[in-house]
Amino acid sequence: MSVHPLVLLVEDDPSMRRFLRTSLASHPFRLTEVGTLSAALAAATSESPELVLLDLGLPDGEGLSLIEQLRGWSRVPIIVLSARSHESDKVAALDAGANDYLTKPFSVNELLARMRVALRQAAAIGHPADEIVEVEALRIDLSRREVTIDGRALHLTPIEFRMLALFARNLGRILTHRQILVEIWGPGREQELHYVRVHMAGLRRKVERDPARPRFLLTETGVGYRLADR
Amino acid sequence: MAPVSEQRPTSVSVLRGYVATGAYVALATAGAWSARTVLALPDLVALYLLVIMLVAVRHGRGPAIFASACSVVAYDVFFIAPLYAIRVDDPRHLLTFALMFVVGLLISNLVRRIRRQEDEVAKASLRARTEEIRSSLLSAVSHDLRTPLACITGAGALLREDEAPLSAADRRELALTVCQEADRLERLVANLLEMTRLEAGPIEIKRAWVPLEEIVGSALARLGDRIGSRAVVTHLPEQLVLAPVDPVLIEHALLNLLENALKHAPGESEIAITAQERDGQIEIEVADRGPGLPADPEPLFEKFVRHAPTSVPGAGLGLAIARGIARAHDGELVAGNRPGGGAIFSLRVPIGRDRPPLTPDEQGEAVS
Repeated sequence: MSVHPLVLLVEDDPSMRRFLRTSLASHPFRLTEVGTLSAALAAATSESPELVLLDLGLPDGEGLSLIEQLRGWSRVPIIVLSARSHESDKVAALDAGANDYLTKPFSVNELLARMRVALRQAAAIGHPADEIVEVEALRIDLSRREVTIDGRALHLTPIEFRMLALFARNLGRILTHRQILVEIWGPGREQELHYVRVHMAGLRRKVERDPARPRFLLTETGVGYRLADR
Repeated sequence: MAPVSEQRPTSVSVLRGYVATGAYVALATAGAWSARTVLALPDLVALYLLVIMLVAVRHGRGPAIFASACSVVAYDVFFIAPLYAIRVDDPRHLLTFALMFVVGLLISNLVRRIRRQEDEVAKASLRARTEEIRSSLLSAVSHDLRTPLACITGAGALLREDEAPLSAADRRELALTVCQEADRLERLVANLLEMTRLEAGPIEIKRAWVPLEEIVGSALARLGDRIGSRAVVTHLPEQLVLAPVDPVLIEHALLNLLENALKHAPGESEIAITAQERDGQIEIEVADRGPGLPADPEPLFEKFVRHAPTSVPGAGLGLAIARGIARAHDGELVAGNRPGGGAIFSLRVPIGRDRPPLTPDEQGEAVS
């Protein structure tokens, strides 16, 4: 049996399928393609893919419902590939349990990077998390609660550290405003999403050289943030 | 474009129409009563018809019919023997009543028909304007769609040919063309979709309190490589300032302003972004060192109006969309010339609402 991870591609457009098949062919993945929700659910059950690439608009229903169904019993990473650019669609998919979201058109390199992030995170489940996360000059020591940039220690507030640690544990992954709010402040504060933005601004002022041009803490406008994975 | 407002009267305004009608008839009756020694009966009939006509013009058909009925009753009660009674001794007066009522009906119907014709004319002229806009859209957009499409299909076809004597560098060049032109198409389509959304009626604004640096940062990130080697200077306040805006829409507006500056200002010239709070407003300015603007910059904000030579690509949608977004925020987008040369665009959004506390800690976590 091959060691290459099995990727389930759920997409009904033939051109898009051909493009992805060709693009992924030279990379270490095995690919199973389906074009409908029902086939996707069957394949997800029988073939146990290690990653799902999902288009939201399918002929027999909404891809969103597949995310919800899969999340009932599976933690397989799901990356949504959709032509819908409405931020509410992205937030809905991410809050339903999708790991990432790419809006068409996207570059193959971007897709491969997100696939690697998703696979790495899935592999890390059940294992003790890395204690030290490094992105270029930024070094986050989760157990010692120390953050340095170019070796220089940063003085973060407790909330800023918890936010940065959350991003470090989800390196490269989009977290929605709501997900961040719930993780840091707990549930029941959905009306107070601006706390997330305010503390992100504070964090950027300490971490980024130019907070208006962040290199590490990237904005996904209308959706959330991600810590760049480079 | 202004939508044709099909005036749907509310129940309050309908009631007001009937009350006013009663008042007019009462006023006419009082006037006629005080002048009854001078006026003959036919004068009175003419006076009431005048009132009915006024009511028909001002308040419409229902009140006009009501006015006819009131007039007949008032005329009978106050001027026809026996006075002060709804009773008629001379049957000839009944004919007068009937005629008064019928004339009142006819007047109100006529007025309504004229109104309808006016509406038709207004709708027809709106249709004509829409048609005109649509045809200018088609010509502008088809040019802007076809040019990148031609590059993509041309380059793609060349790349597909096995026999074509292409060097590796040529192939890379063609592939780059495909990517760049597809990007151009994607931006045009995004602008067209946004324009359609803005035009479809009042758009839904999802306001949030967003730090100024995040707005500027996300627009610059979207601009990405297109900045090239150009110097983009940002001026942001020291203090954290939150703007009550829809982050997605405002990013789109700012992106359009930046793209506009990139298009019109020469290659290496500097672009400055200033974001600040001033006089209860959030103000985001994009200033360039391009050729500057005509004395009256207003036409620039109209769809498909282009100030630049045709060699500069664009469909003339960017500024119209940016202004549409500013206005959807109850704000404004204005343009002027920058001291020392170049153009400056200022997007202003009133702050207006109660500012939230910056952190939960400020309002005391112990509340719960």
